[in-house]
Amino acid sequence: MVEMQMSECSIEEREQLKLERLQSTLNRAYKNVPFHRNRFLERELSPQDIISLKDIEKLPFMDRGHLATHYPYGLFAVPLRDIVRIHTAPGTGDSPSISGYTKADLLIWKKLVARSLEAAGVTEMDIIQIHLPPGLANWGRDYKDGGETVGASVIPNSPLSLSKTLMVLRDYKTSTLVTTLAFAQQLMEHMFEKEHNPNELNLKRIILVGEPVARDVAKDIEDRLHVDVWLNYGLSEIPGPAIAHESENHCGLRINDDHILPEIIDPNTGRPVLPGEKGELVLTTLSARAFPLIRFRTGDMAHFLTETCSCCSHFTKMVWHRKRADNYIIISGIKVSLDQVKIDLKKALNIPSPDCEMEKICQGGIEILKISLVVDNQLFSDEIKDLERLMYRTEEILSERVGVPIKIRLMQKRP
Amino acid sequence: MLRIQNLKCSYGSITAVHGVSLSVKEGELISIIGANGAGKSSLLLAISGLLKNWSGEILFQEIPLKGMSPPAIVRSGISMVPEGRQIFAPLSVMDNLKMGAYTIYRRGMKTEVEKDLEMILDMFPILHERVEQLAGTLSGGEQQMLAIGRALMARPKLLILDEPSMGLAPKIVDQIFNTIVTLREQGVTILLVEQNARAALKIADRGYVLETGKMVLQGSSDELLVDDDVKRAYLGQDYGDFYDGRNQ
Repeated sequence: MVEMQMSECSIEEREQLKLERLQSTLNRAYKNVPFHRNRFLERELSPQDIISLKDIEKLPFMDRGHLATHYPYGLFAVPLRDIVRIHTAPGTGDSPSISGYTKADLLIWKKLVARSLEAAGVTEMDIIQIHLPPGLANWGRDYKDGGETVGASVIPNSPLSLSKTLMVLRDYKTSTLVTTLAFAQQLMEHMFEKEHNPNELNLKRIILVGEPVARDVAKDIEDRLHVDVWLNYGLSEIPGPAIAHESENHCGLRINDDHILPEIIDPNTGRPVLPGEKGELVLTTLSARAFPLIRFRTGDMAHFLTETCSCCSHFTKMVWHRKRADNYIIISGIKVSLDQVKIDLKKALNIPSPDCEMEKICQGGIEILKISLVVDNQLFSDEIKDLERLMYRTEEILSERVGVPIKIRLMQKRP
Repeated sequence: MLRIQNLKCSYGSITAVHGVSLSVKEGELISIIGANGAGKSSLLLAISGLLKNWSGEILFQEIPLKGMSPPAIVRSGISMVPEGRQIFAPLSVMDNLKMGAYTIYRRGMKTEVEKDLEMILDMFPILHERVEQLAGTLSGGEQQMLAIGRALMARPKLLILDEPSMGLAPKIVDQIFNTIVTLREQGVTILLVEQNARAALKIADRGYVLETGKMVLQGSSDELLVDDDVKRAYLGQDYGDFYDGRNQ
């Protein structure tokens, strides 16, 4: 078993450990990151004023805008020479998002991912296959590290066709598949279409990452493929996919709150909601050395589970909601800012205010951002071919900028 | 077993420890590492009742230590092996050990003291050989063993060691650290304060890094052993040296 010491602690001991880690994190952030120090000073606070976990509410929030403003290294809390890995992801604005790891960070994240895998029942006897879209490539590496820490055999993320992925799944006797909901569903449809029997596989469980999955949807996969389905929650800004994982009996997501302190706030007022009420999830890293986040607004909506359940976990548990607190949409694990897409669309079409609606669709197992664009006076052209060419070019420009496939459909002005 | 929250220690207008929190669970071996002046010894003086001017909370087995005298703290189960050994040089090895059992002896537990003496002399055969020798004539390593033995005579639940490797030859340091590991295996809970970061972390379950009176890191030993901050704390160098032109 990997790092299960927290489960042996009493409530007081857990709270003490969290406080110790929070205070150290704040001391390091204050000393080494001008951004954090200035925010303390603006409020006439010092890290020594945070004497309880509740005191964190005295500190201001961080959001993705701060990450973009201090791109690339402005929020790093250690010198670059201590960084052994730099993760980058498409980001939500003009710049990519970045996070760094020290050796110790990597060690901790390995343990956390291993903890999530073990909660899903993975042991050293398992063969783990990772199949994640390019937007979640960093998580692929983390799951590889976590799987190796458990001692399982890991098949890392490889760009294979659907039929070859299925071959690997069958021939290599994969017992655990780490993937997205879209791919799991595509795989399932493909198997039934080609009349493959799920019993040909050794698959015992699927770990779904990247977006919330309703229990009935997971249950459908479980029933049709004869596997257990487990949901993991992660965030690309905090380096790791293993912030929370589904626990035994599927009674909510267990947050690794010994390393990440969760809060739930009202997204409009910024005040903490009552226990059990829905709100925006805010996270503070308690052990990250290289890239500490203090009260980071995730944009994800969640509520804490207040009732005790049979798995007796001491970790904070939450339910992750589909609706977001911000104007983002998740496409193949990549957070896409709809406001930014609109700005890019405006630039590409060279019109002042495009009238459009955006939604996620799935075509042939690939998640796509569909933009339904109203043909109004700004856009109207006598030549339909000119309009088609413009749309094709715009799709290309936007796909390149946003990092996800984009389809534009023209529609008539609404009455 | 030991829980400290927001401890601040002052000497007049100078604050040596700025709101430190740490904890030791029963059976653990915990290392506190840090450079000179990091506040390690002030922290220990506060725990042992030798420093009065502190604020915050220190709980030992859920009992607050605030206001307790040093003998009362020893009676509650905390024994300290001080920095520089502080043995009674003009007294014999045997008398030094008996002095360690002072609080037990006062409670009339003579038989227990005899048994403990036997146990300690078995654990440190070199002390057995020199039981009548004056403590001041022992070598540095032997004096350290005597200081540990003396602390153990008080039957501590928590043994605190302040810089046990200080001034000792590497070979002797190994012996002292082996003794600490043996004690831990026998179930003694240990809080070890050391500048020798690598050696201390290698035998500890968890560690804390103190820097200018503030706790800047903690974690399991394997996490801290790969951490560059630990090297800095051990070397006593300032973070600023490593920023190489970055705007602070």
